Amino acid sequence: MESVIKVEKLSKSYSNVTAVKNLDIAVRRGEFFGLLGANGAGKSTTIECILGTVKQDSGVVSILGMNPQKDRKILFERVGVQFQEANYQDKIRVMELCEITASLYKTPLDYENLLKQFGISEKLKSPVSELSGGQKQRLFIVLALIPNPEVVFLDELTTGLDTRARRDVWNSLSSLKEKGLTILLTSHFMDEVEALCDKIMILKNGKSIFYGTIQEAVASTPHEKFEDAYLWYTEERGEENEGI
Amino acid sequence: MKAFKTLFKTEFKLSLRGMDMFIFAICMPVVAVIILGSIFGNKPAFDGASYSFLEQSFGAVATIAICAGGVMGLPLVISDYRSKKILKRFKVTPISPTVILAVQVVIYAVYSFASLILVYATAAIFFNYHLNGSWLQFLGAYLIVMVSMFSIGVLVGGIAPNMKMAGIIASLLYFPMLIFSGATLPYEIMPVTLQKAADIMPLTQGIKILKATSLGLPIDSVLAPVIVMIVLAVICTGISIRFFQWE
Repeated sequence: MESVIKVEKLSKSYSNVTAVKNLDIAVRRGEFFGLLGANGAGKSTTIECILGTVKQDSGVVSILGMNPQKDRKILFERVGVQFQEANYQDKIRVMELCEITASLYKTPLDYENLLKQFGISEKLKSPVSELSGGQKQRLFIVLALIPNPEVVFLDELTTGLDTRARRDVWNSLSSLKEKGLTILLTSHFMDEVEALCDKIMILKNGKSIFYGTIQEAVASTPHEKFEDAYLWYTEERGEENEGI
Repeated sequence: MKAFKTLFKTEFKLSLRGMDMFIFAICMPVVAVIILGSIFGNKPAFDGASYSFLEQSFGAVATIAICAGGVMGLPLVISDYRSKKILKRFKVTPISPTVILAVQVVIYAVYSFASLILVYATAAIFFNYHLNGSWLQFLGAYLIVMVSMFSIGVLVGGIAPNMKMAGIIASLLYFPMLIFSGATLPYEIMPVTLQKAADIMPLTQGIKILKATSLGLPIDSVLAPVIVMIVLAVICTGISIRFFQWE
């Protein structure tokens, strides 16, 4: 099967500090891929290099067989993005932000339906700045889905959402998966990763320390729960013996 | 085109909600006409002049909005959108940077033309003003001055490294030009040394063109300023498109 997102030997450093080193990622159509790791491990840098908003030092990146820097205008008709920080104009209202976003694409989805699906349709006329953290988060997921994308990038998918809202978001995304949507997401919640992701990569100091399925991750550690396995991978092994 | 229309509509609404352009580009020029008209009335511009003081100042006052939009509004909005990472979000969509810039330029052009109409109406209704020159020439001149000033603004917004720098550069351009180019304080009443200093400001040159066309003076007297303004516009636009940065 074709790789929708393909990353080969990706490296990027900021003034001599390595952000990511030698990453290889291949995400197939219909797959949900999770990029995990502590804050500063290189998740956002990886996403930004894949999207072309940050220029990598070396390595090759392609989405849907296209170069995100060179084929920007064609590629981003088919790709939706939610960045970690919500960026929007002062005083703009929910409806206006959705309207602008929809106007950028040739065949956008009906944003009122999406807002309803994500439980924020009653906020249509509110200023975006007056939404709660969780509502903003859902709004920006909606914006990422407006282009009716084949691939979606979600940086910190459900940070700031309450339990109910997180479940609703998972369900909505799962139903999109059945339609063949491909997602690359980052998350700090292991239950979420378990519920959504087919494959994961765990990053530590910019390097990949695990790549595979969740079952494989658990099986390769002495633990039985995925969260413990994740911690086992990300902990400083050297420090374990030193403490106390 | 759909993107342009939607962005224009929304961005214009946002700009009106901000109120600052309404004050500096719409209200301020009208107030300036009223003040100049009340003080100098229809006195001749100088002893033996064939035109009144207000007639002489009309072109200058009409540029207050161009100045506010061009070197204050435009650079600030562009650098604001960059520092808030709104442009970064646009980068991962199919829109071209030219459309984003064009939307802002057209918004400030609308403010400028609205201001021109209001300034003219105020002068005509309250002070019996009428344009002595040809409207066609005057509007052509107005357009050249506007394009040229806006290109400076887009350039500043485009290459200023951050919002703070953009604000500083904008203030350094805006306040001297507003006061010394003749837009508010009449150029003609300044001492000669100050006039010479003011001559290096692009808006001063622009106002000379507008003064000549509004008074119906011979155009060839302002050929040099016309060329200066056009060259400036071409250079600034070229650089800002070439060096446009999303982040």
